[in-house]
Amino acid sequence: MLVDETLPADRREHVAEHLRACAACADDVARLAAVAARLREAPPAAPAPGDLWPSIRKRIDDTKVVAIDATEAAPVSRITWRHRVGVAVVAAGVVLTVLVLRPSHSVPVEEVPSSSDTASLRMVADSVRSYEEEARVLLNRLEIQRAMLRPDAMAAIDADLRTIDGAIEELKRAIADDPNNPALRRLLAASFRQKVELLKRAGSAS
Amino acid sequence: MGIAALAAATTLRAQTSGGRVLGARAAIGTVAIKAWNPAGSIRFVAWDKDSVVVRGTAGRNLRFLLAGDSAGIKVGPEGHWSDGQAEPSNIVVYIPRHATVSAKTVSANIIGEGTSGWFYTVSGSIRLSGASTSVEAESMTGSLDINVSTPWVKARTGSGHLLLRGTPQDADVSTVGGTLSIATSSVLRGQFASVTGDIHYAPPDGPAPTAILEFANHRGAVDLLLPSNASAALTLSSIAGPIQNGFARVRPAAETARSMRINLGRGEAQLTARTFKGTIRLRTP
Repeated sequence: MLVDETLPADRREHVAEHLRACAACADDVARLAAVAARLREAPPAAPAPGDLWPSIRKRIDDTKVVAIDATEAAPVSRITWRHRVGVAVVAAGVVLTVLVLRPSHSVPVEEVPSSSDTASLRMVADSVRSYEEEARVLLNRLEIQRAMLRPDAMAAIDADLRTIDGAIEELKRAIADDPNNPALRRLLAASFRQKVELLKRAGSAS
Repeated sequence: MGIAALAAATTLRAQTSGGRVLGARAAIGTVAIKAWNPAGSIRFVAWDKDSVVVRGTAGRNLRFLLAGDSAGIKVGPEGHWSDGQAEPSNIVVYIPRHATVSAKTVSANIIGEGTSGWFYTVSGSIRLSGASTSVEAESMTGSLDINVSTPWVKARTGSGHLLLRGTPQDADVSTVGGTLSIATSSVLRGQFASVTGDIHYAPPDGPAPTAILEFANHRGAVDLLLPSNASAALTLSSIAGPIQNGFARVRPAAETARSMRINLGRGEAQLTARTFKGTIRLRTP
């Protein structure tokens, strides 16, 4: 919204203040702005050949239940370069969101588990993904709150986070060696749950 | 109602000692109490009166705040502690038995007797007892002593010690590095977890017959101390830690290098313990 200038005025200063303090978000906005700028500079696409539409319309008519009025004029493409820029910006935003939210470290590709554990493994894998995503959001929030927390509280939070992250890394390495072990995945889900709970507790400390 | 509050305060002054009455408010039975105290202590006592009364002493250079209406009341010292070192205030808050508390401190200890709600402290301790409708207790580094009769309890701490006793039915408790001790037989649904702290489960009468309990630990031990007449079906597994069976006369139903299934008695309660490399110990007192 900041890039396409649709952000409400009363929120711009708040967002700008955050960007001044958060390099990661500032980079994301800069990349998105660059993509939007390049798309604006791109020449508009050439219109489709005029004789293409009748054959397309006939194919649609052949499969439609209600026929289109034969006297209706063939539609002229109303998609302007602005629409193309808008779609591209949205698509770029989706791509950037995926890039930003992707795991910071590689997650091993899950091999096909044995049939008896398939459902169990899938359920646990889903819960791990869900916890991992929630932890990421809470970590970002903690970084914003860091300056408002007492140093001793922050030190305790960081120490506990290191403990839990160490456990998570050990479990991920073990899963990489033994991907079909449901016990490992349950332990991983439990560790992520601990992390999410800790980050929620930390949020109350300010 | 205001007269009732003052009357209660007067009666209380006559009945108890220590700390002057800092304020009193009439309140409905289900009043919501929001309380804070950076340092010192804050104690909640449930009573059968339709009022909230606060006794104690506010720290130097702090003034005491008691505000709100009969449905919602705020309690706590007000002042300036931007340097993070507030003067300790020690206050006792008498609240209607069905009130809901939301209490937050930095280093002040929290004590609750017959109270329900959310209790949070960064580094203080939390001690809860009596009957409650639900309890949620959290600390970053402080110790928790939960001795309540409640359908539901959730308790978390990082490096502090957590002791669960009383008669909770549904328990979700965990530590990060502190020890976790469960000394109650009443839990029917329990999730107990730690990362590096040891978990000790020692129900005095064994687990409840219909209990379903899960213990998860990464590097800390899981110590299951069950009476010889316990009735439980146990599933124990560890990726890299040892499993020790102290019930020498009971042959496991199934056993591998890293897992064990064992039935004690009629095998009624369901206990599952998983660790990554922590030791799992099953033994009798």
